[in-house]
Amino acid sequence: MTILTFTIILIISAFLAGFLGSLTGLGGGVIVIPILTLCLHVDFHYAIGAALVASIATSSGSASAYVKEGITNIRLGMFLEIATTIGAVGGAIIALWMPTNIIAVIFGAVLVFTALMQQRRTTDHVNVVGSNMARKLKLYGTYPTKDGEKSYQLTNVFGGFSVMLSAGVLSGLLGIGSGALKVLAMDAAMKVPFKVSTTTSNFMIGVTAVASAVVYLQRGYIDPGIAFPIMIGVLGGSLFGAKLLKRLNVKVLRKIFVFAILLVAINMIYNGIMGKF
Amino acid sequence: MEIIKQNKKMQQLIGTTLRVGVMTACCIAILSGSYYLIRHGAEPVPDYMKFHGEPISLTTLSGIFSGLLHFQARNWIQLGVLVLMLTPITRIILSLIDFAHEKDWLYVTITAIVFLVILSNSIGGGLL
Repeated sequence: MTILTFTIILIISAFLAGFLGSLTGLGGGVIVIPILTLCLHVDFHYAIGAALVASIATSSGSASAYVKEGITNIRLGMFLEIATTIGAVGGAIIALWMPTNIIAVIFGAVLVFTALMQQRRTTDHVNVVGSNMARKLKLYGTYPTKDGEKSYQLTNVFGGFSVMLSAGVLSGLLGIGSGALKVLAMDAAMKVPFKVSTTTSNFMIGVTAVASAVVYLQRGYIDPGIAFPIMIGVLGGSLFGAKLLKRLNVKVLRKIFVFAILLVAINMIYNGIMGKF
Repeated sequence: MEIIKQNKKMQQLIGTTLRVGVMTACCIAILSGSYYLIRHGAEPVPDYMKFHGEPISLTTLSGIFSGLLHFQARNWIQLGVLVLMLTPITRIILSLIDFAHEKDWLYVTITAIVFLVILSNSIGGGLL
């Protein structure tokens, strides 16, 4: 295969990854890794490097709109980024010595968790009494709804912070944004409104991914020949997905996608256990 | 109860920065990627099935920048990756300035910690 053919295959795959990632809200990185490793047999380390590039690109691209609309809680994001960046650096360092097959099994487990999280019902938190800690850290905020600005409080700062630490570790270990875990930390643990949780999670992914990307770049895991088609494809795909999202009913698609993710996850775990990476 | 009003102007600025950063990185990737394909497109694919690591000219700032002067396509692509990585870092710096402007020293400290975590890693591994 020539470099040209390989590049075209990568651009198309990355476009698909970005497209599905934005329709389902999973982000780009999660889909890039199985495509590169399972379909194209690229080494896992290069795949993680590519996934980081994809995560930074898609999260920064979509965070831009949410920040302007004022949904994102910037203070909350900044505060929790202490946990995710420290975790991410730790995860990236663990990844350097951890056997690839174990990383693949962990990745499979995270995929299963992500698929289950997609099925979770979201409930509105009403009358949340905020904790003292949250007030001291000025984490309360407002966000725009149909009926105007709505204010909210939040609680369990310590619990949320600890979950974010593990989200960071996974992000550094696997090169993904680990958005599902970030949303769980804010929505379930801290009782942040769902819409604020998802947008703030998105906002945080870029910084978290950069913290580990710095480590990966220096260790030579980011290859230009893979990075550029991934960046272009994923961005194009996610922009196209965002356009379509406004017109499409994605409920059915998400259901199908959950099954697809589970199949990929089983494949990853099986290949990891058999030592095929 | 204390509700913190978020600074609207800063939200717009951060939003625009993120968009401009990603678009710049993507443009560099498209241009240098085409240049890379013109020069190397017909060559066989390097062995990506095994991890070899990148040469030092692609893993340090000085290496990447000296390659730019010699019109190395791979170095120009790596510049695009660097711009992409600088995008979230720039928004941290913008937040830092914003919090300092509001005299919110608690958040100046928090933002500075996040920035230092990333910076210390860049120095530790030899990027800078």
